[in-house]
Amino acid sequence: MSTSVAEQETSQAALPERPKQLAMHFDTLHQQFTTGKLAMWLFLGQELLFFTGLFTAYAVYRGNHQEMFHYAHYFLDWRLGGANTIVLLTSSLTAAWSVRCAQLEQRKGLLITLALTFLCAAAFMCIKYVEYSHKIHIGAVWGSNFGVPLNEFPEHLREKYPDLTPEQLQQMGTGSFFAIYFCMTGLHGIHVLVGMALYAWLFIRALRGSFNRKYYGAVDNIALYWHIVDIIWIFLFPLLYLIG
Amino acid sequence: MTSTTHEAEGHGAHDGHHEGLPGTIGHVSSWKSLVTVLTVLIFLTVLTVAVAQLDLGRLNVVGAIGIACVKASIVALWFMHLRYDKRFNFWIFISSVAFVAWMVGYILFDSSMYQHNIKEFRETHPITAPEIHEHDGGEEHAE
Repeated sequence: MSTSVAEQETSQAALPERPKQLAMHFDTLHQQFTTGKLAMWLFLGQELLFFTGLFTAYAVYRGNHQEMFHYAHYFLDWRLGGANTIVLLTSSLTAAWSVRCAQLEQRKGLLITLALTFLCAAAFMCIKYVEYSHKIHIGAVWGSNFGVPLNEFPEHLREKYPDLTPEQLQQMGTGSFFAIYFCMTGLHGIHVLVGMALYAWLFIRALRGSFNRKYYGAVDNIALYWHIVDIIWIFLFPLLYLIG
Repeated sequence: MTSTTHEAEGHGAHDGHHEGLPGTIGHVSSWKSLVTVLTVLIFLTVLTVAVAQLDLGRLNVVGAIGIACVKASIVALWFMHLRYDKRFNFWIFISSVAFVAWMVGYILFDSSMYQHNIKEFRETHPITAPEIHEHDGGEEHAE
């Protein structure tokens, strides 16, 4: 027994020195990186399915209440939604660029791109706040709480359908549209907040100089997560804001 | 320290020149390709908004979802490096998308199967509210 332990010790001593970021259960930094990435892709695959539940609710409700969806979409301002799309796409660029900076060990570039991604996410949430507070203010909310007075109808809606009354909208179940709207954009918004927290954490780690060309899995995987958040919004924007 | 055979596996196809420090793990995207991808994505966003202004009936939905799918693919292939990543990660993503399509498609199919029940219900339980344009879409009752 004691001889085999001694043999192990000598064979371990013969191994080259392990990098300090390499976890004990991996052979190489490359193996560690690809394993983390595989796990991230599995997580993102289920994230898509997670959101699909809501997209399916949208599809079924839209199929069954086409007129209601048509009237309701006038309450969403496509300019704000479009601005948020551009902000999120830009943040996707900075996220992808942060991966490049980490790979090239450009510390300054990494800090700038991480900070820009965080700021774009914050800008997204600010625009979202403007939208949410306006909707809650005029009563464009979920379920039976929905009740928008005639003077708060969007201009385009009043021009196109001058006879439409608030009671009719309520009776058509427009509250269901806003239940779906708040659930989908709300769940997406929670993902954006999580992303902001992750980017703040990455920024602190980058400040400490934790990343290098062989160890940047966190930057890469969080960028992957961020791109999925972007992809979800790419679908939410036209489905909710544009097509009536 | 790191086995070179392992390193070579992960790289996948390279596009011509190889940028990056020696021993870098993964594919390094050039800043030009990243900026090009963003430009295309913004162009497609403007296109989505423009197409939505036209009244194409059912084609509006098809067009909007079609452009969104193209945009999502561009994000996945370039920003998410799927083009250069291990094939296995690509297939994880594709199989997830396949299940998304199956779930939405099957439930919509199921939903359309009982439309005649809803129609019958509406005929026997007419809504007393004044008529609105076309036919109404409601069944929920106001309080």
